[in-house]
Amino acid sequence: MVFDILQIGGQQDILSTLVSLIWLLLLLSFFLYPGFSQRIQLSYILRDLERKLNKLRIIDDDVKDRTLKAFQEHSEPNIDVKNELERLVDSFIISPESMDPYGIVYKLEHIVNTWEDRFEEDVARICSKADPVKVKTLTNLVEVSRGVHFIYRYVRHYYLLGKRTQNIYLVLQMQMLMPQIMEIAEAYRQASYAFAQAQPIGDGIGALVVAKLVHGLEKKTYEIAKDTIVHELELDGRKLLILRASGPGGTVGRPGEGIVKLIESEGDRVKLIITIDAGLKLEGEESGKVVEGVGVAIGGTGVDKFKIEEIAKAKRIPLYAIVIYESITEAITPMRESIVKAADKIIEKVKQLVNEKVEKGATIIIAGIGNSVGIGVT
Amino acid sequence: MFPQKPQLNRFIQPLTHLTCFSCNTENSRPFKDGDYVFKEVEEKCPKCGSTKMLITGIYIEERQLKERER
Repeated sequence: MVFDILQIGGQQDILSTLVSLIWLLLLLSFFLYPGFSQRIQLSYILRDLERKLNKLRIIDDDVKDRTLKAFQEHSEPNIDVKNELERLVDSFIISPESMDPYGIVYKLEHIVNTWEDRFEEDVARICSKADPVKVKTLTNLVEVSRGVHFIYRYVRHYYLLGKRTQNIYLVLQMQMLMPQIMEIAEAYRQASYAFAQAQPIGDGIGALVVAKLVHGLEKKTYEIAKDTIVHELELDGRKLLILRASGPGGTVGRPGEGIVKLIESEGDRVKLIITIDAGLKLEGEESGKVVEGVGVAIGGTGVDKFKIEEIAKAKRIPLYAIVIYESITEAITPMRESIVKAADKIIEKVKQLVNEKVEKGATIIIAGIGNSVGIGVT
Repeated sequence: MFPQKPQLNRFIQPLTHLTCFSCNTENSRPFKDGDYVFKEVEEKCPKCGSTKMLITGIYIEERQLKERER
C-alpha cells in the first residue's frame, strides 16, 4: 500500500523508496514527538558548550602550571607546593550580611583586608625564597589562577546541570554568554604571563602617570597605609600630595585609607582631590583615550571609593577624575603603546587642573589608582 | 573524527625601553626578568657607550600586535 502511494507520479527504484520512507518517518517523528526539534537543538548546544569547556579546562591547566612553576622557583624543596597552591586556589571569601546595611562598608573592609593579609602571608610562607616584592606579584598570580579556575567551575556547573536536567533554557543562556566568558578567560591566561614575569599591566596606568609626574622632582616620600606611598612636593606654589601603590611589586595599595589620613593631617588646606585610573571602554571606543569627569575614579570592592567620597563630602572638597579607556583584556595584560602614550597627555591635564582650579598655597591630593606591578618608585 | 586541540593565542613579550643617563638616547630590547619601569640598569648605551641606563617604559608596541594578527 505504502509502496503504491510512494510510486504516484512515476516508477521508482528501491533506493529512492527507502529515502522517501526515511523522510516520511522523520516528518512523522516531528508530529508525534513535539519535543524532538528541541532535543536536537539541545544536543547541538551541549556539544558547543563541551568544546568551549574543553578549551577552558586547557586554559585553567595552563595558568595553574605557570603558577606552580613560579611558586616552585621560590620555595624550599621540602614544601608540597602543589597541594598548598590548590588550597589557595580553592579558598573563598564570604561577603558580610546585608540585611541590615548599616556599617557594611567597614565590615567588608575588615573581611577583605583579613583575606588579603592571610593570602599574602600564605604565599610568603610557601615561597620563602622570594623577596617581599616578588611575594606581592606571586599573590597576584594566584588570584589570576583563582579567577580562571572559578570561570571553569562555573561553566562546568551549568553545562552538567543543563545536561542532567535536559534544560535547554539553562544551556542556551550559558551559550549566549560564552563569547564574553572565553574572552575573559583568555585575558586571564595572558595576565598570568605578565604577573609571572612582573610586567606592567594596563590597569597600572594611574600609578605610571603619577610616577612620571614626580620623576626628577625634589620630593619627600613616605608610606601612608599598607602598600601605599605618598610623594610630597611643591609645584607652582601649591603643595601636591601624590599617592600611589608602592611598586614594583603587584599591589593596588589602600588609597581610601591613605587619602583619609592625608586629609586628617592636612586639615582644611586640601582644596582638590584628583583620581586617575583606567576605565572600561565601550566597544568601538579608542584605547588610551583620556576623558575627564567628576567623582572618584576607582574600582575594586567600593570601600576605597566610599571612604574618599565620605571625607570629601564632609570637608566639601571637589572630586575630579581622569580616566583612560581600555578593554578588560588590555587592563590585565601587559601595557600597550596606546595606553602608555596617554600618560604624557594626562600629566599635562593634571598640571592644567592644578593651575586653573586651585589657588597658590593650597594642597592638592593626586591619586594614581591601579596595580603597580612592574612600576618602580622614582 | 578526533576532537581538535583548541588553539590558544600566542603571548607577546613586551619591549623594555631604556634611556641613557649621559646622552638621553632611547633604546629598546626584549623584556628581561627583573626589569621594571624606573629601574637603573648597567647596560651599554649604543650611542655613547655609557653603562648606566634608566628603564623608562615596558610595553607592547602597536607593530607587535599587528604582526600577531597577520
